[in-house]
Amino acid sequence: MSDRATPLGDALVPGLYGNLAAALGVTLSETFFDCVSELTAFDGQEPALAATLAKAHGKVKASFSFQVAKSRWLAAGPNEFRDLILRQAAPDKWSHIDLTHGRAALRVSGPKAEWVLSKLFAVDFREAAFPARSGVATMHHDILAQIHRSDAQSFDIFVYRSFARAFWDTLCRAAEEVGYEAA
Amino acid sequence: MTFHRLPTGGTLIDRSRALSFTFDGKRFSGFAGDTLASALLANGVMLFGRSFKYHRPRGTFAAGSEEPNALVTLVRNGFREPNLKATLVEIFDGLEAESQNRFPSLNYDLGAVNRLAGRLFSSGFYYKTFMGPFRNTKIWMFCERFIRKAAGLGKAGLIPDPDRYERMNAFCDVLVVGAGAAGLKAAQTAAKSGLDVILADENPHAGGALNYASGEINGQAIWAFTASVIEQLGALPNLRILTRTHVWGFYDGNTLAAVERVADHKAERSPGEPRQRHWVIRAKHAILAAGASERPIVFPGNDVPGVMLSDALVEYAQKFAVVPKGPVALFANNDTAFAAALDLSRLGVTVSAIVDVRRDISDFAKFLAGRSGAELIAGQAIVGTEGGKALKSISVRPFDAASGEVSGTARIIACETLGVSGGWSPAIQLASQAGGRPKWDARLQAFLPPEPMPGFSFHAAGAANGAGDLTQAFSEGHSVAAFIAKGLGKKAAKPSPVKIDLDSADIAPAPVLEIASSDSKQKAFVDLQADVTADDLRQAAQEGFAASEHAKRYTTWGMATDQGRTSNLPGLAVLAKAQGISIPEAGLTKFRPPASGVAIGAIAAERFGDLRPYRLTPMHDWHLKNGATMYAAGLWERPMIYGKPGETVEQAYVREAKAVRESVGIADVSTLGKIDIQGPDAAEFLDRVYTNMFSNVPVNKARYGLMLREDGFVMDDGTTWRLGETKFLMTTTTANAGKVMQHLEYFLDCLWPELRVHVTSVTDQGAGAAVSGPNARKVLEACVTGTDVDAVTLPFMGIARGSVAGHPVLICRLSFSGELAYEVYSGAGHGQKVWNELLEAGQPYEIAPYGLEALGTLRIEKGHVTGAEIDGRTTAQDLHLGWMISKKKPFMGSAMMGREGLMKEGRLTLTGVQSLSGEAISGGSHIVLSSDPKAPGASLGHVTAACYSPALGRHIALALVADGNVMIGRRAFAADPLRGRHVPVELVSHHMFDPEGRRMYV
Repeated sequence: MSDRATPLGDALVPGLYGNLAAALGVTLSETFFDCVSELTAFDGQEPALAATLAKAHGKVKASFSFQVAKSRWLAAGPNEFRDLILRQAAPDKWSHIDLTHGRAALRVSGPKAEWVLSKLFAVDFREAAFPARSGVATMHHDILAQIHRSDAQSFDIFVYRSFARAFWDTLCRAAEEVGYEAA
Repeated sequence: MTFHRLPTGGTLIDRSRALSFTFDGKRFSGFAGDTLASALLANGVMLFGRSFKYHRPRGTFAAGSEEPNALVTLVRNGFREPNLKATLVEIFDGLEAESQNRFPSLNYDLGAVNRLAGRLFSSGFYYKTFMGPFRNTKIWMFCERFIRKAAGLGKAGLIPDPDRYERMNAFCDVLVVGAGAAGLKAAQTAAKSGLDVILADENPHAGGALNYASGEINGQAIWAFTASVIEQLGALPNLRILTRTHVWGFYDGNTLAAVERVADHKAERSPGEPRQRHWVIRAKHAILAAGASERPIVFPGNDVPGVMLSDALVEYAQKFAVVPKGPVALFANNDTAFAAALDLSRLGVTVSAIVDVRRDISDFAKFLAGRSGAELIAGQAIVGTEGGKALKSISVRPFDAASGEVSGTARIIACETLGVSGGWSPAIQLASQAGGRPKWDARLQAFLPPEPMPGFSFHAAGAANGAGDLTQAFSEGHSVAAFIAKGLGKKAAKPSPVKIDLDSADIAPAPVLEIASSDSKQKAFVDLQADVTADDLRQAAQEGFAASEHAKRYTTWGMATDQGRTSNLPGLAVLAKAQGISIPEAGLTKFRPPASGVAIGAIAAERFGDLRPYRLTPMHDWHLKNGATMYAAGLWERPMIYGKPGETVEQAYVREAKAVRESVGIADVSTLGKIDIQGPDAAEFLDRVYTNMFSNVPVNKARYGLMLREDGFVMDDGTTWRLGETKFLMTTTTANAGKVMQHLEYFLDCLWPELRVHVTSVTDQGAGAAVSGPNARKVLEACVTGTDVDAVTLPFMGIARGSVAGHPVLICRLSFSGELAYEVYSGAGHGQKVWNELLEAGQPYEIAPYGLEALGTLRIEKGHVTGAEIDGRTTAQDLHLGWMISKKKPFMGSAMMGREGLMKEGRLTLTGVQSLSGEAISGGSHIVLSSDPKAPGASLGHVTAACYSPALGRHIALALVADGNVMIGRRAFAADPLRGRHVPVELVSHHMFDPEGRRMYV
């Protein structure tokens, strides 16, 4: 368990909510990654950074990264992953910024995860278009959301920490129709 | 006349589920599957509402979304939703519906007096009567309130919409609009070819006209065959069927907008279930197969309840088993009405006559007429009707279709219902939105879908493309889907064989859409919803509004909820004839979204209440628990004051500011914008961005920086900290964080792409606490480990790294308050713990949390600027920041800052203001020289921020004053006429407290 305080505060009260007449649609929770980083390659260095990341993911299976803008990747995983990346730091090729405290990762998982997220984002969440271990950067109105799909039914949505509670409220409301567990 | 329910039949009703509802307070019953229109007809109700202008009694005219007359208001828990088509409203237990535009009741409507003055209400009535003759008077303003009460459709209620709406984004290979014969076949072929398909239909059941077609397919009744096909399609994983969903807009990128009526038909809604869902569907291709609408022939007296579209009569009969009790006549210019006659007669309805404008009737039509038992009256037309609230009879006279003239004497035919068929208009609304000019088909006397505009991809199929029978509809549905599948690299599925046994009548009509009888006194309505007659359109043409788009706006023809589905072509025919041109020359008006009515709530979707999301600092909950009154600063929630019981806002901030000046205070500054800037060229980048040098800032030191816009005005200020040779942390004002970030990205992406610099917003990464006051250092000494914080280790603008409560912190000694002060940043997730520790360490010094009001007071005393002064119109010199402008280098804004207008004398300049009378100075007050509040004279400038200064013991302010530098020492007045304040003031230096800065350099 991280020693970081949750940005959700009292907004996350574990329990079952919404339409519970049928099977539970989704589970909503907060995921604490040991580290969240943004890595950006200078012009022409994108392949080098991509290769560095791929190599690190090969060594630290619980880590992942996805491109969130041109030349820019969001990466998350255990401390071991960050250490590995920092050991290979190449300031003339790419930059690294720690965003572990600056981002909250809200997880939506369950059979109705695609349905719930489709209410909020103009993103094609069908698995063929958005396979596991891939991600996308998008917006929910004013809130930047960087979304990573960890498996067929699970998504981690990285939002600015200050927006976490507002977006949690939005997620809960979107999930009421299918029934959700806050965990 | 009246309708009734047959004891058996009805393809879409469930007789095992009786439902109860009210209409105008009277209780009725119906069956599950009934629309409000079908249920009311089944109960013998024929009068549905009153017309728009003349309050004429109106019944239902159609059976679907083309309905112009039967508009009702639904009431649910006090919320009123007006102008809903009874033909689309599904009944449920407890439904409350009301008729519209009548007083005191539907049967006895005082507004019907308008009919006596009917001729006055012609085209342009309001302009000619109330506006033109009384120009520059208030006559129209006076009359408008009465006119608006007398005319119109339903009235919205006064309570907010309590319903829940949602948005849904969808992506697919093919969106099929319309689930009739062509749409079902297209969806089937596309899905079986492996494409992702969405099939949308506005009706509660897929199937379209197949649900009420007589005949057989593959040996099954057509409706039963259709049901089995729909069931099969429903099992396909790559096909989503959206019923109760009308697609109303076709936008760039092949994006289509649709609204699904999720729970409108339910008495009770599940938790979280929206009433309606707004779909935004991004489809690679669209197949438009929304069928065709039957249109009327315009003739005198054509709006009496009982006059309906002939196809609607069949639809009510087959789907709901609701049929006319008395004799029915049909009036047509094509063969399809003959098939309708046979369908009705098979259900026991007496079809007394079929009146056809054509002299030459096809053998097949004659055969159908004979089978139906109806008298065929060829070469004649209806020239009038008898009946007030219900049709009693029609008048028929010989008619020459070539000349359009009626002749001879009238024959009266008794009938209680009249079915009219003037041919078929393909549903081209969506195609028109996304395409060029619709194509005119002279044989069908109809416009067909245009070609798509560049960037759009759609194909029309079935009746929407002019197909006249089922075989053609199935064939077109399959072929367009197969074509799309091949285009997407799929092998197109083969069509499943169908054997159709159905008497299909030719849909091609005679080119007759209006019967003009000069000796008739009855009105001939083109647009039943807007009460626009054929004479209105002729008058519009005569007065110069002949172009269809002009006539539409002059008369309101083709507007409102039905969007002219039944009136467009008859209206065009009238306009064309009036000008002696053809219908295609008259030109169809352009269809625009929405193709049919959409609730505003559905478009707003989840954006309800306060539209803004909120941003919270890591210490937000602590602020609330400790009495903070929060203030929305942009999206951020920030403490304004920490009030104690009984304190006013002023008392609270004065206490807080005093604590900072006398001992120590702590403020949450997490909201300040923070931007990580790193890369080999980071220092060079900052030199270009800021007016002053940053490349010579030592590591672990900060510098105050000023940023200009390209045009030379001040954009923002803040400190930037050098954390390493190639790594900086820029801070910005809370308000400008986003704007500055965008600017920096723009510079790097567009202006200086050669610089190897990355910028990243890290505002949320850090929790910030400003510890300010003479005892600030003692507080830090008590809780910071890992570094000293003495004046040598941590000088002014120095940076140190240490720990608080075991968590790493970054400390910078800088001051916004003018006191000895530090900003302590930790990881946001540790912010609360660090804050607690700082508070604990400050207890011996009675550390006081302070909010925005005290923060403002402290900075006004010191003359520090914020967004109130950096208002986009001030220069560095205006704000006394000229000393920050480097002469050694160019920077953003340097080329433009020396413009004559920005350097001239008399510019508004930052000035201090002190009250001489002990009165408070209002923010926004104007600085004037006159002592007379009633004649304050010219404004010399305005107050940007004001407060009571506990340090100075008086009310003070900052102002932007013309020639402020030379005005110092002058007496003036702060005039606020709105609040009745005219305060004598002295203009002073903006540095009103500790101008030498001795307190912060200790």
